[in-house]
Amino acid sequence: MVLDEIAAVWINYNLTERTIEHLWIFSIALIAAIIVGVLIGLLIYRRRRYAPPVFSSLNAIETFPDIALLVLLIPLVGIGTVPTIIACVLYSILPIARNTYTGLISVSPELLEVGRAMGLSERFILLKVRFPLAFPMIAGGIRIAIVFTMGIVTLGGIFGAGGLGAPLQTGINLIRPDIIFVAGIWVGILAVILDGIAGGIEASLKRRFGSW
Amino acid sequence: MVSDLLLTPIIQHIVLAYTALLVSIALGIPLAILALYSRNLQTFVMTSANLMQAVPTLAVVAIVVPLIGIGFWPAIVAIILRALLPIIRNTWIGLSSVDPAIIASAEGLGLSEWEIIRYVRLPNAYPAIFAGVKFAAILANSVAILTAMIGSGGLGSLVFEGLAGVNMMKMLSGALPAIGIALFLDASFSWMERRMVPRSGQSELE
Amino acid sequence: MTKRFGETVAVDRISLDIIGGELLILIGGSGSGKTTTLRMINRLIEPDEGTIAINGIDIRTIDGIVLRKNIGYVIQQIGLFPHMTIRENIGLLPTIEGWSREEIDSRVTELLTLVHLPPDQFMDRYPKELSGGQQQRVGLARALVMNPPLLLMDEPFGALDPLLRRQLQDEFIGIKEDIGKTIVFVTHDINEAFRLGDRIAIMHEGGIVQLGTPRDLILNPADKMVSDLVGSDRLFEHIASLTVSDMMVPASSIISGEMPVQSAIEVMVQSGSTVAVVRDRAASFFVAQLPTLLQRRDEVKTVLEATDPPFFLSMDASLLSALEEMKAASASFGLVMEDGEPAGLLLPDDLISRLV
Repeated sequence: MVLDEIAAVWINYNLTERTIEHLWIFSIALIAAIIVGVLIGLLIYRRRRYAPPVFSSLNAIETFPDIALLVLLIPLVGIGTVPTIIACVLYSILPIARNTYTGLISVSPELLEVGRAMGLSERFILLKVRFPLAFPMIAGGIRIAIVFTMGIVTLGGIFGAGGLGAPLQTGINLIRPDIIFVAGIWVGILAVILDGIAGGIEASLKRRFGSW
Repeated sequence: MVSDLLLTPIIQHIVLAYTALLVSIALGIPLAILALYSRNLQTFVMTSANLMQAVPTLAVVAIVVPLIGIGFWPAIVAIILRALLPIIRNTWIGLSSVDPAIIASAEGLGLSEWEIIRYVRLPNAYPAIFAGVKFAAILANSVAILTAMIGSGGLGSLVFEGLAGVNMMKMLSGALPAIGIALFLDASFSWMERRMVPRSGQSELE
Repeated sequence: MTKRFGETVAVDRISLDIIGGELLILIGGSGSGKTTTLRMINRLIEPDEGTIAINGIDIRTIDGIVLRKNIGYVIQQIGLFPHMTIRENIGLLPTIEGWSREEIDSRVTELLTLVHLPPDQFMDRYPKELSGGQQQRVGLARALVMNPPLLLMDEPFGALDPLLRRQLQDEFIGIKEDIGKTIVFVTHDINEAFRLGDRIAIMHEGGIVQLGTPRDLILNPADKMVSDLVGSDRLFEHIASLTVSDMMVPASSIISGEMPVQSAIEVMVQSGSTVAVVRDRAASFFVAQLPTLLQRRDEVKTVLEATDPPFFLSMDASLLSALEEMKAASASFGLVMEDGEPAGLLLPDDLISRLV
């Protein structure tokens, strides 16, 4: 009975396609956020005096209501997938960049001293010592970004981005409990699974590279 | 004119977000204290709180509808479901991160359980609780826009009406005050934090 | 050379010659400039004035990276890279230098064996799986990997508990003999300095107060600070009450002067002594030293020809005055007589190590 209803909603509202679409947008947004976030973290590490202004700007964006940010993007890029991805990246830069930066600078001084005394170049120390030791921190930032991205991709459904937010909007508008339950619980499960995987990766990196 | 048109949604928005925030504080702090004394409650509260955090806000708002319907109170419930988590989590971390030696010496002085919470654990937890409330306040401000989808009214109504009617001005008249409120909240919490932190010497917890 | 940090002069016009192959100790309290001096040698810190030369080459003319790759460095905090296995930690520089995997493995195996860690048990473990003492052994192995002629060590055993420290010092004395490197070793522990050092430089407020062998420092402290540090007051208090007979080594056997050199060497090696008393036909006594015998075994026939005239001491003479007389006569040992017969030998070098 219940299974039949779930199957009916699943088929009528194309939830397989919606899920693929959802995860596709999610992946692009997350990868973009990781690239941009790690790069910004690295740049700030190289130019430390920019850290306070950059972080306080990113902090301000973080406080914006997500819908308000999507609205602000409409005049610039319209509605749909593109503003959704941009919003995901804007929210996810802070945790990733901040954790990258913190991870890179918090390598213990005696390791750096020994590295220098061994005659390792600054570049080698950055790539082979600082970065690996920052991995658990960066992974922690990415895990936060995953939760943000999942939330905003879902929200993007209201702004024409498709994904699992779209059937949820339909369910709310039509007040259809069946659609709401199936799509809502499904997207919730997906989010919890992704967060769990990220948590597992973070924990194993901490075990592997030590934690502070 | 414009200000009159905006005033009602702004007031609705603030009432909505901050009723929910106050209820969250009133529920969250006692729950965190209780969680100190029951391993089962602690596991349940922390696990469900952590799982809930991962669930997209839209799904939370949507699932409230078939359970308790639409309107102001369902919207409050949806906001509470979001805002409760950071408050419980931070309060619990603050309360439980007291040096065991300090607790032991307080017990040695003959303080009761309640006195230990009142005079030892809570003061230690203030900075963490404060950070949790700040985060919850900003979250409530954000969710209160979305709840216009389930008939809460407020600034979100302007956004969704504007979206439906492709009226950019209307959307912005909903979005911009919400951003203004967010920045104002952030600034005032930071101001209060700066006044608090040097005294307690604690660093901010996320 | 001089190093200032702002207004503070950390190292003030010091001048120091380090002899190839020796273990030189820099000792002093915190702020004495010992670590700063050490770190200037591999250019982790640049001196403000003065020069440092290695084998006559000013180190400022050598690229810092090249210089440091050729100087081993061991510190108290060890600083093993936590994300690399023991093999990767020790093999890091060889990897960068492009050694093959087999070469790296065999070098790592060799070094782990040298520092008494079974290679097959430790190669693939991570630093945090090792105890502090084991980590410090790996730290030493890593510093030795490129076979650097010079090794700098900054309180390497400082963080270990006294028992383990003692054990590592003992092992290190053995390793030091094996590797034959020039070592500059910073410590604040005078006992460690006496145990390990060939020469000791005592530093205070950025200057070198005294530089000398352990024996020099004990017998001729430059000032009150040095005598306090080496505890020579305490030693002298003890020494003052001693007589020669308390500290002499009994003369186990007396060798006849006509004995062939080869037999005398055999006797001495068997009895484990390096100095022996020799009696000639006129019942006069002489002293034979094993190194001299070995050196001259082909030139001379009998022991007598390779002996030195002894410095005579009496049993009940005060130890202190005996040592002073010997020093004045530049005698390296004394023959203790009782009733016209040799009773024992007084060997100051052995004596100091026993007192310390």
